[in-house]
Amino acid sequence: MSTVMATTAIKGFFADLKRNRLAYYYTSPAFLVMGIVILYPFLYNIVISFSNMSLTHFRDWHFVGLRQYGRVFADPLFYATFGKTLAWTIINVFFHVVIGVGLALILNRPLRGRAIFRTLLILPWAVPQYITALTWRGMFHYRYGEVNLVLIKLFGLPPIEWLSTPLGAFGACLITNIWLGFPFMMVIALGGLQSIPHELYEAAEVDGAGRFQQLKNITLPLLKPVMIPAISLGIIWTFNNFNVVWLVSNGGQPADSTHILVSYVYKSVFNYYRYGYGAALSMVIFFILLLISVNFIKRTKGTKGVY
Amino acid sequence: MSSRTTFILLLLLVIFSTLVVTQGVGRRDPNDIVIWTQDFVPGRELLLQQLELYMEQHPKLKVSLIYYETEELRNNFIIAALGGSGPDLIYGPSDQVGPFEVMQIIRPMEDLFTPEELACFQSDALVWWKGHLYQIGDRIGNHLTLVYNKDLVPVPPKTTDELIVLGQKLTKDFNQDGLIDQYALAWNFVEPYFFVPFLGGYGGWVMDEQALAAGNPLPTLDTPATVKACQFILDLRNKYRIIPRECDYDMADAMFKQGKAAMIINGPWSWGGYAKAGVNFDLARIPQISETGLWPTPMFSPKGYSISINVQGKKLSNVVELLRFLLSAEMELQFTKNLNTIPSRKEALNNDIVKNNPILQHSIEQLEVAKPMPIDPAMRAIWDAMRPAYQLLFSGSLTPEQAARKMQEDAVRKIREMNE
Repeated sequence: MSTVMATTAIKGFFADLKRNRLAYYYTSPAFLVMGIVILYPFLYNIVISFSNMSLTHFRDWHFVGLRQYGRVFADPLFYATFGKTLAWTIINVFFHVVIGVGLALILNRPLRGRAIFRTLLILPWAVPQYITALTWRGMFHYRYGEVNLVLIKLFGLPPIEWLSTPLGAFGACLITNIWLGFPFMMVIALGGLQSIPHELYEAAEVDGAGRFQQLKNITLPLLKPVMIPAISLGIIWTFNNFNVVWLVSNGGQPADSTHILVSYVYKSVFNYYRYGYGAALSMVIFFILLLISVNFIKRTKGTKGVY
Repeated sequence: MSSRTTFILLLLLVIFSTLVVTQGVGRRDPNDIVIWTQDFVPGRELLLQQLELYMEQHPKLKVSLIYYETEELRNNFIIAALGGSGPDLIYGPSDQVGPFEVMQIIRPMEDLFTPEELACFQSDALVWWKGHLYQIGDRIGNHLTLVYNKDLVPVPPKTTDELIVLGQKLTKDFNQDGLIDQYALAWNFVEPYFFVPFLGGYGGWVMDEQALAAGNPLPTLDTPATVKACQFILDLRNKYRIIPRECDYDMADAMFKQGKAAMIINGPWSWGGYAKAGVNFDLARIPQISETGLWPTPMFSPKGYSISINVQGKKLSNVVELLRFLLSAEMELQFTKNLNTIPSRKEALNNDIVKNNPILQHSIEQLEVAKPMPIDPAMRAIWDAMRPAYQLLFSGSLTPEQAARKMQEDAVRKIREMNE
């Protein structure tokens, strides 16, 4: 089935090439650059994933077939990290979308100081991730962090050991990334909301539809074509969000307990020089993401027009 | 103009642009020397001044200095050297020599210097590995010591018993709000590198030194010494409460600078910052372990230069000449004077700049009981095996006995995986 599809696609490409030769000539420099900076490293990664390249076989590596893939799937840590990565992605994207769309709905209404609120809410996105992550790390400190000081002084709660317990550290990473990620969804949703014709709401009001019905039957369906690609991107970014996990938990601390797949790959490759294993793991991550994204877009019919 | 001509012109433009952008990436100009360093800002500034002086003396040469953080430096150098490019000289701690040698990306240096020249250096500054010299240090030490605020601690504790007694007096809640405002001691105790001195103080070590000398890295972590050292750190935190419950490097550093910690365990790279912050500090040995009578054994390592495997011909002789200049007593003493580093040349070590500097003298006292950091690549697996088990102690997930066992098991497994 897939072979037939691939053959059809290749045939279609060559037919198109004949029809639009000039267009392909014009775009070929861009394809060339893309090939050098994206395609070549990707193909090289595939090659390495079938090799034994490592510290002791750095220059004299050779092909070992599927051995590295076997190691990936035989490692219980892979499944534990994969589970954690799924939880990390689902929780993050859920809150990004809920908070982002919620704030966009508020900001889309007539509101005094709307421009100021909008600017303030975009700030987490505008500040470099590196700075944000390290600032949040400081805020989660047991004795001097603002988070615990608020818990103690405002709510009379005992302080939480955010950074020295596995659950606390994972929670700290989640909170930081939720704070970092909602502005993107908010901006996208706001753009989507502003493109919905106002006449639709007027017609709905004439028909006696309440606010909730308008939200359910007009706003959300018309936001879908904008939000689905944004959510797909959000899933990919969050699934591969190395910076926040690495910086907030200081490289997976405590006890390598906060790793998601991408930080686990980094550690395997650069700490232990396991290039073949790391490349195989990267390919596995690539296919997981590909499957999730394709399935998500297919199920939500995200690319289908609504007007 | 036909579409074919347009295409060819565009293609030429792309190729030309690529060449312009990447010019110099694979340069092999013998007069153009590149150094990659991981040294901190003050060290880099001083090195830049020295390089400018050298370029004034050698107008045909151009020497560039590029900074990378330690891990980045290591990874980028591996990738660049494999591709036949990268720096000509790489500066950093001696433990990078192990993996670089295994990957064959640095070259032996013993044939580039005369035996008389090498004899001018302290033996600890010459990093030999598998029979070859792969690094020459411009400084030695790089070891942890006890740094204390003289305004808060007039006399530093000599033993751990004294540390605990003094610590309980120095740990204070000034405003009685139930939160500690001043700790006796703060340091990055969650990192194995900062734990190792105590492991040695209880008579243990990370690897079997005899097996290592025979080329067989054998972790020795599941020992009573590891258990006792873990228990000691836990007691400082949970029983005596003289150290913060959570502490990483930056937090400890900030606390010491702000007077919120009376003592810190830190290395020579930090002293400049404490002087700049106006802390009235001095150094002392990390207190002797009362139970064993042994001194804690921080790891020491030289920091110095290795030559990339890609340096050959005329460039190699230019690089060696530059090294002779950078490793001269005069240049080393500039670092000593400005940054309190321990010079690697014997004659520099006997200079008055070293002898009349109390900070350096106390640092040298600590160095006397320090142990060299193994440069075998397996050391990385050992650090990474120690870290999770050790950190789980502080969340109460493991006992010291369980942590020691897990450290050993993980270290053996990781070393095996690295060599697969």
